[in-house]
Amino acid sequence: MDNNTGMSPFEAAFHASAERHERFWIFGVLVMLVLLTIGTMFYVVHDYGLVTGTHSYATDPQAPAREAAFQDGKVVRTGPNAYAVYVVGRAWHWSPDVIHVPEGAEITFYVTSADVLHGFEIQGTPVNLTAVPGVVGTVRYTFRHAGLFRILCNEYCGMFHHAMVARIIVDPAGTP
Amino acid sequence: MSMDITADTIPSALPRSDSDRAATSMRRLMLAFLVMGFSALLVGATIGPLQALNYGGIDAYPALRPLLQSYYQGLTIHGVMNGYVFTFFVTCGLLVYLPARELGVAPNLAMWRACFAVMALGTLCVFYAMADNSSSVLWTFYPPLKGSPFFYIGITLLALGSTMPLPILLKMRATWRRHRPGEITPLVTYMSLTTMLMWGLAGVGVVAELVLQLDPWSLGLIGTVDPIVNRTLFWLTGHPIVYFWLMPAYVSWYGLLSRQVGGKLISDPMARITFALLMIFSLPVGTHHQFSDPGFSSIWRGILVVLTMSVATPSLVTAFTIGLSLEYAGRLRGGRGWFGWFSALPWGDPSVAAQVLAAVTFILGGATGVVNGSWQLNAIVHNTTFIPGHFHVTVGSVTAMTFMAISFWMVPHLTGRQLVSRRLALFSVWTWFVGMTIFAIGMTWAGLYGVPRRAWVSALPHETYHALYGMASVPLALVALGGVLLWVASYTFFAVFFGTILFGRRTAPPPIPFAQSFGGPASSTIDSPPNPAQSASPLIRALDHIWLLTGVTALATVAAYIPILWPFLHHVTRAPGWILW
Repeated sequence: MDNNTGMSPFEAAFHASAERHERFWIFGVLVMLVLLTIGTMFYVVHDYGLVTGTHSYATDPQAPAREAAFQDGKVVRTGPNAYAVYVVGRAWHWSPDVIHVPEGAEITFYVTSADVLHGFEIQGTPVNLTAVPGVVGTVRYTFRHAGLFRILCNEYCGMFHHAMVARIIVDPAGTP
Repeated sequence: MSMDITADTIPSALPRSDSDRAATSMRRLMLAFLVMGFSALLVGATIGPLQALNYGGIDAYPALRPLLQSYYQGLTIHGVMNGYVFTFFVTCGLLVYLPARELGVAPNLAMWRACFAVMALGTLCVFYAMADNSSSVLWTFYPPLKGSPFFYIGITLLALGSTMPLPILLKMRATWRRHRPGEITPLVTYMSLTTMLMWGLAGVGVVAELVLQLDPWSLGLIGTVDPIVNRTLFWLTGHPIVYFWLMPAYVSWYGLLSRQVGGKLISDPMARITFALLMIFSLPVGTHHQFSDPGFSSIWRGILVVLTMSVATPSLVTAFTIGLSLEYAGRLRGGRGWFGWFSALPWGDPSVAAQVLAAVTFILGGATGVVNGSWQLNAIVHNTTFIPGHFHVTVGSVTAMTFMAISFWMVPHLTGRQLVSRRLALFSVWTWFVGMTIFAIGMTWAGLYGVPRRAWVSALPHETYHALYGMASVPLALVALGGVLLWVASYTFFAVFFGTILFGRRTAPPPIPFAQSFGGPASSTIDSPPNPAQSASPLIRALDHIWLLTGVTALATVAAYIPILWPFLHHVTRAPGWILW
């Protein structure tokens, strides 16, 4: 064999050992990736997940932003402990720019844009939803602790993109 | 076409002789691709550290006003010059030159020149559009932000030009196979070809976006575009582009590095399997960049997670094969024990040092990539500084450092001039390694505090900056420090690169360090002895059917994108353009 392939004894030995370890490595890699995949999917399947959804589409990119719910920027009570919040991104502010929600309630954010793409990020949470003109996206989140959170724009939207910041004030449970 | 009638095949010995005209033209053209690419990097890398300082709270832009109007203009130039122009030029040079020399077959020079010319024209257009601040739309140019027609037409030309090596490669491979029936494609050619086939397929997305929507829109021929359809088409190309950055670096790691360290490639089949997997899996997964978008089903998000995890397989196989090839060389050089082989590598060779260090940074790059692909973790890091932190230890280290490494042997090879200073070259790659690692650690860490990417945070009032990002002050300081180190590294590199071309001492041009694999032939040129040892396995023979591979990839891509695009195409939004900078 050594003569056929022109390998030195060291090379041949290294080659044989390499092939053995290679199979072992590939097996290990596949097991690791399968476990990672199962791990990452587990959270979604078990409802710990944060999934962005779509509420509606419109041909006119500004149509959703003109709807009454978005115009008023209200926090609407939709159940015993559930609220809907309507937010529009515009260059370069969020409307409304101060939102009060209660601690521990399930909040559904309805988010759209009146001009270009914006990124609806609530700092310190996994909430992250692209605001698209003409599309109303949704994301559900429950704030476990009272305090101040900030909505930052994380999709580039022009000259004052960095200044597009709004506040969410999570009131302690039990306050009216 | 006239070129390849006169020089269809060239004996492998001939290109080494300066008298051979075709070989001289090839070398000149290759040098032109390198110079153009690295000149783009010079522009991009000059601006980059300003952005790192921005995150550290230092706003340099008011002082640069006539030259740069804003952080966002600078960021657009940085992304386009580094991500598109630099990588496209170097890659479109390398992936023609290396196979041509491996096969001993002359490329179609007219076509290769046209590739250069189309991309150069594109660069000119796009640079003009960025320089006058008419198109500060960043390298992702998401509509309905609207840049000037020069920007979109320039990108269109760059994209089209970058696929032109594909027919050149196919022609060279066909010539080689006519002379050597029954043999499988030599490794470097195989890797180059799968890369270009992957890119040719991937380019369909962005070319459709540009030609059907953004080009006519910017010219005023159509009034509105659909933001989410275009975003999806962009990422159809935008994810595979990551592999168009990575695969040329792998070509060097698999095809050359083992020889450069004084050993052999331990597995030729594994290199082929890696490239085939990269080709198949890089295409259908682009929408994982849109986990935070509304509009497509959760089932597809789950499927995308599985596909995205699969694309980590070839990179983990690469870690093994390249690692073991380095170990083999290290042991041949007298390295003993667990880590002795690593320190026994020829660290004095800047080309080796750059590639091994690049591979080390890829541990962080790959790990953060798996985080990005993990849907729920992605929700935490999406569009934060974590993302640029990740890709600066992929394209910013693996690709950039490997291309720098290639230039260290290739410029002497092409020009017959010695590196002006081996020490400075070593200094530049070590500083790049340290700077990029510090930068990436800072960026990924800051991202976990929700610091958004692409934000001119240093222009905020001081109190606001501290209220929003004060908790991330340590990582953000690291970002700034990394940026300053990268400035030092890049200028040292450019001094070596341009210094060598202009002032290097004359020397005999070194040969291309094509690696031999275990049991593989010493040479694969068209006139080398037949290779009877090529009793390749059925799998490797099957992988050599590149059209089969292309078909499978195309099918997987169509299957993945129909369900994603379907709802978007049924709910079209007609968005007018906005100029907001």
